[in-house]
Amino acid sequence: MAYSDKVVDHFNNPRNMGSFKKDEDGVGTGMVGAPECGDVMKLQIKVQDDMIVDAKFKTFGCGSAIASSSLATEWLKGKTIEEAQKIKNTDIVQELNLPPVKIHCSVLAEDAIKAALADYQKKADKPEAAR
Amino acid sequence: MDQHHTHNTGSRDLRMARSMCWHCQSEMSGEYFCERCVKVQPVSKETDYFTCFGLPRRLTIDLKKLEAKFYEMSRAFHPDFYQNKSETEQTISLGNAATLNTAYRTLRDPIQRAEYLLDLEAGSVKDIRTSPPSDLFEEILELQETVEAYRASDRTSETGRQLLTRLVAERQALDQRKQDMEHHLQQICTDWDALQDRGEATSQARTERDRLLKQMREILSNRTYVKNIVNDLAATIG
Repeated sequence: MAYSDKVVDHFNNPRNMGSFKKDEDGVGTGMVGAPECGDVMKLQIKVQDDMIVDAKFKTFGCGSAIASSSLATEWLKGKTIEEAQKIKNTDIVQELNLPPVKIHCSVLAEDAIKAALADYQKKADKPEAAR
Repeated sequence: MDQHHTHNTGSRDLRMARSMCWHCQSEMSGEYFCERCVKVQPVSKETDYFTCFGLPRRLTIDLKKLEAKFYEMSRAFHPDFYQNKSETEQTISLGNAATLNTAYRTLRDPIQRAEYLLDLEAGSVKDIRTSPPSDLFEEILELQETVEAYRASDRTSETGRQLLTRLVAERQALDQRKQDMEHHLQQICTDWDALQDRGEATSQARTERDRLLKQMREILSNRTYVKNIVNDLAATIG
């Protein structure tokens, strides 16, 4: 099975790899894993005035999982929280041309986005509890 | 492929009349062969692998017994013995032999066996939600960075050697952890079997059942994460 050019590009030049400090103001962290294949994904957003100003990821997994999370961070930047909620795994599948056996990688990326958003919301609702 | 397809359609049609011999239509009393016309009968797709070998649904299995039963049944269904039989019988024997092989491979391995039991008892992996082990994930991602730093480093340099020493130690620790997980899993399997043997229908027993299944799921998932990073380490440092 050959990876699409876009997957290869993200894999070779991952965008926004790295991390923020978890307890930093406005940072939401999503940490997810796929027990079926053992892939692990960490996706973080930095929010200012309801706008995602920066996003970072770290992924341990196959090329498609890395590409999915790399693409997700690209898409997240500049979006509002509400817009970010609307990112679907199928959008990622389409953009990266993922084959059926790799669809779970895009699902993992969507889960990571959701988890990061939820974590941000939780911290925003009661900032003292996040410390 | 074609043959496989034929078998699938065939057994689906035949399964409907499982209690009846597909050939002589008499009531079936034999297990895999009709007692009246001695024709081979398809193993139903609904039959789980434990039942397939006449085993109770337990996680501790006598491997010698399993192997003996597998050989016995393999002989009974071996396609070679059906070369002069009708096409239907050939298809059935081939299908049964294939099912049997998968069943044996699954039950022989304690990890696959537990995964399979979880599927039977609790539906697919995703049906049991466990909270992601954040600490383990952090560790894996951090280790992954060290692995990458080592890959990029000049291996003969001081830094390269230091990274290697660290990775070797990490690998040992992870191997140990994987073993601990497997021991823990074994304990849970024993508990599961004991619970099944007691066969209580109390709400307490149901709670215990759910707790054991969830623990099993958790350990199996975490073991997969650890196994992946260990394999990655092994591929890098040899």
